[in-house]
Amino acid sequence: MPLFGKILDWLDERTGWRASWREWIDHPVVGGAPWARAMATSVAACFGVLALTGVVLMTAYAPSPQSAWASVHYLQFVQDRGWIVRGLHFWAAQALIVLAGVHVVHTALAGSYRKPRELVWWLTLAVPALAVGGCITGGLLPWDQRGWWARLVEGNIVGLAPAIGPFLQQMMQGGSELGALGLTRAYALHVLVVPAGIAAVLITRRRLAARHGWGGVGTTTRYSRLLPYGALVAAATVFLLFALTGATRGAPLDAPADPMSDYPARPEWFLLTLFELRKFFHGAGEFWGTTLLPGAALLVLALLPFFDRAPRSRAPAVVVALAVVAGGAALSGMAWRKDAHDAQYAKQRARADALAAAAAKLAMQGVPPAGALEMVRQDPELRGRDLFDKHCASCHVLGDAGDPAKATATKLDGWGTANWISSMIHDPDAPEFFGRGPYKGEMPSVDVRPKDKPAGEAWNAMTKSAAERQAVSLFLSLQGDEPGDPPRAADASVRATGEKIVAERCTTCHLYKGDGDDEGNGIAPELAHYGSVSWTRAQVANPASASTYRDKALDESRKKHMPRFDKDLSAADVDLVARWTRAHARGVPLR
Amino acid sequence: MSDEANSGRRGALKALAVAGGALGCGALVLPTARFLAAPASGAAGTGRWIRTVRLDSLPPGLAKRVELVADHRDAWTLEKDVALGAAWLLRSGAEVRAFSVVCPHLGCAIDRTATGPGFACPCHDSSFDSDGKRLTGPSPRGLDELATRIEDGFVLVNFQRFRQGTPEKLPIG
Repeated sequence: MPLFGKILDWLDERTGWRASWREWIDHPVVGGAPWARAMATSVAACFGVLALTGVVLMTAYAPSPQSAWASVHYLQFVQDRGWIVRGLHFWAAQALIVLAGVHVVHTALAGSYRKPRELVWWLTLAVPALAVGGCITGGLLPWDQRGWWARLVEGNIVGLAPAIGPFLQQMMQGGSELGALGLTRAYALHVLVVPAGIAAVLITRRRLAARHGWGGVGTTTRYSRLLPYGALVAAATVFLLFALTGATRGAPLDAPADPMSDYPARPEWFLLTLFELRKFFHGAGEFWGTTLLPGAALLVLALLPFFDRAPRSRAPAVVVALAVVAGGAALSGMAWRKDAHDAQYAKQRARADALAAAAAKLAMQGVPPAGALEMVRQDPELRGRDLFDKHCASCHVLGDAGDPAKATATKLDGWGTANWISSMIHDPDAPEFFGRGPYKGEMPSVDVRPKDKPAGEAWNAMTKSAAERQAVSLFLSLQGDEPGDPPRAADASVRATGEKIVAERCTTCHLYKGDGDDEGNGIAPELAHYGSVSWTRAQVANPASASTYRDKALDESRKKHMPRFDKDLSAADVDLVARWTRAHARGVPLR
Repeated sequence: MSDEANSGRRGALKALAVAGGALGCGALVLPTARFLAAPASGAAGTGRWIRTVRLDSLPPGLAKRVELVADHRDAWTLEKDVALGAAWLLRSGAEVRAFSVVCPHLGCAIDRTATGPGFACPCHDSSFDSDGKRLTGPSPRGLDELATRIEDGFVLVNFQRFRQGTPEKLPIG
């Protein structure tokens, strides 16, 4: 120890650090230790956590539209303890806004903005403002849907400002679109400018607060005696952040930013007030109502020291401060309530969450250099779903794709399986089969007497027993099996019975291996390979090619029948949507 | 040396230091400011014609969303054949009208309404009829219509962006 003491002495001789340290740590505190001190301490603790975890996150984060999402995904889901570091950073940021806001309210209620503490008050106000700036710039960094869309809308809001609006917007976005330069700008602000600002404000405020004391009356004590309490408050704050991180398993990560998506953009929670306010002011009044009105409210807070001077009553000031806070909270509550009761929003949000989960799962295999969005777009499962949504779901239903109320074509859940075929050939005109489309009335049931043939008139059922119907269903469902499908047992004799019935009785109208359609109607489809990848692909490409449906399928009289897609989609997309649809209909893996 | 001469020299030195400092700071500020403002100097664009879907693939009367695919330059990155934007195409006979999917209010993606034939914004509840005219909500103007023409049976759309939040339709770069 003597050596250590000697080193400290040596340093003190050359720097005078002991005097500076004493000045910082051991000055008299007028008025004891009010709760405002605890607020300031927990704010400082949050900032400390942010600074530490921020630097650690920087060692893994790469700011470019191609790599940002992938690197955040990596550090959160792959890197050891990454979710804790990012979770702490995220929650410390939210907590910083809340605690700094509570600090403002507490200071206002305590009236400690009065002369000579005006500057302390303004610095206290600057902390939540800077914290919001940190969250806004930081929210963009993962380059996910939530952050990107929130920033896009906020950029456009800035653009509403008269005269300098468009210039400011382009400065923020790094051009006329929110792109690579917008991200690097947000990054520079987030990792350097904003934290430097917060640090400068916190240090200056503490110096000034030490100079004026913390207000109130009572004892005067030495600051060093309060240090253990401060340490306890800081430890409690850090514990709270760990608890929040643990409870939420880190921080949210939405799907990679996609400017082409129909994302239901929402701002961060602390901007919900402005979001809701926006719905009340339209047209020319928008800028005034949504920027100047909240701006004026903040100005009132900032100017409190000037219109609330001792020895007047503090009641009006307290009422004003509480009114600003309550008004903001009420508007946020309204926005939250509206979304909670909005079915359309819930549906869009659920889709966005499903995509986020799928993208996160996909990225565990690694993200291609073209970026996470490209990864999502090229994934067979996600792209297949996207193609189905865009080109098939306006008529068909499959799983949660398509709208059952508007469907006009066959419901595809189970399409091509033995159960599906069995129900279908029993009642082809049921609404989930041909009942809502142009083929209604074209296919007779295999075992139900048609309405135009009353009892007594000659009529032959195509399947004479439940066993026969089952045999046909099994045989036809086997037509669609592919080598990669899960193997299943099929009794050879049942299968043979099915084939015999199909070849003999169904070919009155259908084709089977190119033969059939005795009356030349050109309507009923080919049954060989029905439900296979090649059959589905041929059907999507062109339903009138005779390898599935035939020339009459695209007849003028059948206007709402399935169109051909080989002119609109590339061969690869036709193949993909066919494989996706078949796999999901049959419940087999997509290959 | 006299005090007078000394103070004169000090004054001159002070002035020199101030001038030198100002010059130095100015020399630093000017290029950095120009550097920072560089991306904001984009001129208003006139749009680019992008080929979309075949005319006969558009069902009359039903709005269809098409992506506008072309090469995209974002700072240092050039992406080939990516969606720059999207448009709602509405066909009546041989005529096609195209509406940008970007909400003229604050830029969210316009969708068809769940119930009627018109359009709606998921963010601030603006709604539009099927002609793009504003019905309700904070949008300062109707949907932005994009010019179209038909070539070899395909619909071409003139892709353009417009400033958000203004009553007039002002093109941006």
